[in-house]
Amino acid sequence: MDRRLNNLKQRKVKSVLLKSFVWLCGILTVGVLIYILLFILLRGIPKINLVFLFGEYNSETLSAFSSIVATIQMIFLSLIISVPIGVFCAIYLAEYAKRGSIAVKIIRLATDTLAGIPSIVYGLFGMIFFVNILGFRASVLSGVCTISIMILPVIISSSEEAVKSVPDTYREGSLGLGATRIHTVFRIVLPTAMPGILSGVILAIGRIVGETAALIFTSGTNVMKNPTLDLLSSQRTLAIHMYMLAGEGLPHSKDMAFATGAILILIVFTVNYTTTKLAGRIGRIQ
Amino acid sequence: MKKNKILSVALAVILSMVFAGCAQDTPSGEQPAEFNFDKDITVVARDSASGTRGAFHEIMKIIVKESDTETDKLVVGALEFDGTDKVITAVEGDKYGIGYISLGSVSDRIKAVAVNSAEPTVENVRDGSYSVSRPFLLVTKGTENDLVKDFLKFTESAQGQAVANEMKFIGAVDSTEEYTSSGMSGTIKVAGSTSVTPLMEKLQEGYRELNPDVTFEMQSNGSSQGIKAALDGSYDIGMSSRELKEEEASELNRRVLAIDGIAVIVNKENPKSDLASEDITNIYTGKITKWSEVK
Amino acid sequence: MQNTKKSNFDEKIMQAIFFLSALISVLAVIAICLFLFMRGIPAIAEIGFMDFIFNEKWGPTNKPASYGILSMIAGSIYVTAGAIVIGVPVGLMCAIFLAEFCPDNVYKIVKPAVNLLAGIPSIIYGFFGMEAIVPFVRENLGGNGYGIMSASIILGIMILPTIISISESSIRAVPKSYGEGSYGLGATKEETVFNVIVPAAKSGVLTSIILGVGRAAGETMAVVMVAGNAVMPLDKIELLKPIRTLTANIVTEMSYASGLHESALISTGVVLFVFIIILNISLSLIKSKAQRN
Repeated sequence: MDRRLNNLKQRKVKSVLLKSFVWLCGILTVGVLIYILLFILLRGIPKINLVFLFGEYNSETLSAFSSIVATIQMIFLSLIISVPIGVFCAIYLAEYAKRGSIAVKIIRLATDTLAGIPSIVYGLFGMIFFVNILGFRASVLSGVCTISIMILPVIISSSEEAVKSVPDTYREGSLGLGATRIHTVFRIVLPTAMPGILSGVILAIGRIVGETAALIFTSGTNVMKNPTLDLLSSQRTLAIHMYMLAGEGLPHSKDMAFATGAILILIVFTVNYTTTKLAGRIGRIQ
Repeated sequence: MKKNKILSVALAVILSMVFAGCAQDTPSGEQPAEFNFDKDITVVARDSASGTRGAFHEIMKIIVKESDTETDKLVVGALEFDGTDKVITAVEGDKYGIGYISLGSVSDRIKAVAVNSAEPTVENVRDGSYSVSRPFLLVTKGTENDLVKDFLKFTESAQGQAVANEMKFIGAVDSTEEYTSSGMSGTIKVAGSTSVTPLMEKLQEGYRELNPDVTFEMQSNGSSQGIKAALDGSYDIGMSSRELKEEEASELNRRVLAIDGIAVIVNKENPKSDLASEDITNIYTGKITKWSEVK
Repeated sequence: MQNTKKSNFDEKIMQAIFFLSALISVLAVIAICLFLFMRGIPAIAEIGFMDFIFNEKWGPTNKPASYGILSMIAGSIYVTAGAIVIGVPVGLMCAIFLAEFCPDNVYKIVKPAVNLLAGIPSIIYGFFGMEAIVPFVRENLGGNGYGIMSASIILGIMILPTIISISESSIRAVPKSYGEGSYGLGATKEETVFNVIVPAAKSGVLTSIILGVGRAAGETMAVVMVAGNAVMPLDKIELLKPIRTLTANIVTEMSYASGLHESALISTGVVLFVFIIILNISLSLIKSKAQRN
């Protein structure tokens, strides 16, 4: 009798310890996030001023304006290339392909591989193929081409999820009314899957904004005094601007690096918030 | 059940506060700690692309040349960074650190020591008493186009040299020629040394004030890359903060833009203010590992 | 009648377009393999396979130059292992927390926090590491702060979201009957979770760890700012001493490399690429084993 009671006590103690440890890890994770965010934001936000955001770049202002515009260009152009390809690929996998066929296996294998390649390897490939062999030189164009390949798996997997979760009844209804398959896909399935596709797009945007290693050798580290839309010019994105500022020797470059970091974090906040809202909308549709 | 929950949460919160508390205390450690001469020296160097490193390691004989071979004998475990600010950050945060940066980048975050009793000032570099210096070079290949020629003329003019002197570099050309705007337009592509970049940026700004139709494209990716870019023609001008190698010099036009001193920096709490160049060599090659061994 | 013919034609065209789009991923992978190997393999041949992989002397600017990446391979391994040691326990516990112990109102805080961690750019992690973690290690643990310890801490934090979100999904996917059976036998909640539910989610957890390994091994920017980038001979590697990883080697030296040096760095990329492929294959093996069960 005694032994069983002791055992129970031991088990109870163990359970309490485990539970607190689990809670600790949860709090720790949140704590680490808050610490990182505060660390950058507290030192960075005070340094953000209008000149830094919209002014001309010179060694006094270290303005991020042209980097911001370059980043927006990069996002816009990469999405124009990858989203159609990615969504069409997802449609093929979800609507047309026969389950378990060799083609599907190969395509999935390829997509999974692309998803796992480190960004520095993408940078190397971009440098070899787009910058050197195709002769695009260090330019926004090379960067866009490299990034488009990099975000393809993200678009494909979230679009595929989204398309797959459109209820079959929608499709059957449409086909029953005499619509063609294409018609069904474009008028019924895609619009319904749109929130899911969009959340994949937003995830991709988050990735592009944060990318450094893939772009250092492809779009380069050059900073233009004023923003330009020239695709063949080399321009640094916001993340690379931060990296360069973290290494420059000017007295205020570190402060401005914090400021750039703050801007990056605010962008990530917005991206995440939008994704969460969209995810909520998907939930409601199901 | 509820008691257990509260207990566990309380435990968790306390533990995480301890963690946060530890981390908060450290960055601005206000302890008036003593300088422990028996601690290991933290040797900080630049990355291999850097012209600053190339120049410093040559001057300080860290690179050993024997007949056919050339070996960089930087001590194993030395930190290598690819930017001036990172070197400054490393030495600023580490009491026992030593590093080298362009004289123009010295700020009050760290302390620049005298070498062989010569203070690291512009005057001492100019008259040669401070021996640790290297040329900032602009290199081009073949005949330059008119726009590039015009810009180079600007850099060698009185205005250009004034910019260099303002930034604590030593103008290389004692020029009294005033540059007048040529009204040209076009793009000049420059690539190379991160140390030369701040000076080049200011020169570009000055030039653009007089010739607003000219744009510049600049990559700061290291002296060697700048030289390579000039050699293969992908860029108009290469910037280098180290001397050209024979193979490079034979194919390029070389202009000295300015002379830059290299400052040897230590942490502000380091009592030493004067180092013999022998000691510097020995520190960087690992023959001296503690500050107590430095005379 | 004609309408049907036209729509059949349209169907076929669109189907072809969809299929071709799908093939683009395959094309991309083939292209990446092709061009990387095309530049990298000859370099490995010229340096000599044994000399490349198993030599710890990396000295491309010396005469004669040496191109051994063993020290960097060791560096990547140590730093990744450190990241796993730090990130997996915390991550797994946090996943268990989210899946089993977390009240709804707390979930609304912790889950978005994890997603936010996932979205933070690696340059921010690297900067944070350089400004906060390095001084912390230097003052509390010793050494000069730049090294394996700092890199492992930062990488550990970076892989947390990966470990947490995938582990959480697989823990949630464990059928309720497992848990109910355990409770029926009188086990406490904690015992049930740790002895029954989590082991049942083993393959998902393993997947998350492998993906975490991939992420840590491929990380460049964060590591290059905190690891010190010193090429260390194997016998001198220490937890608190600096180290250089494969990724840091590429990014630090590529800007000035040319000729064989440049190709050697691309070969380093090839080594990384092959490593990721091996990871992916192990992942598919685990997944198919799980499916069979």
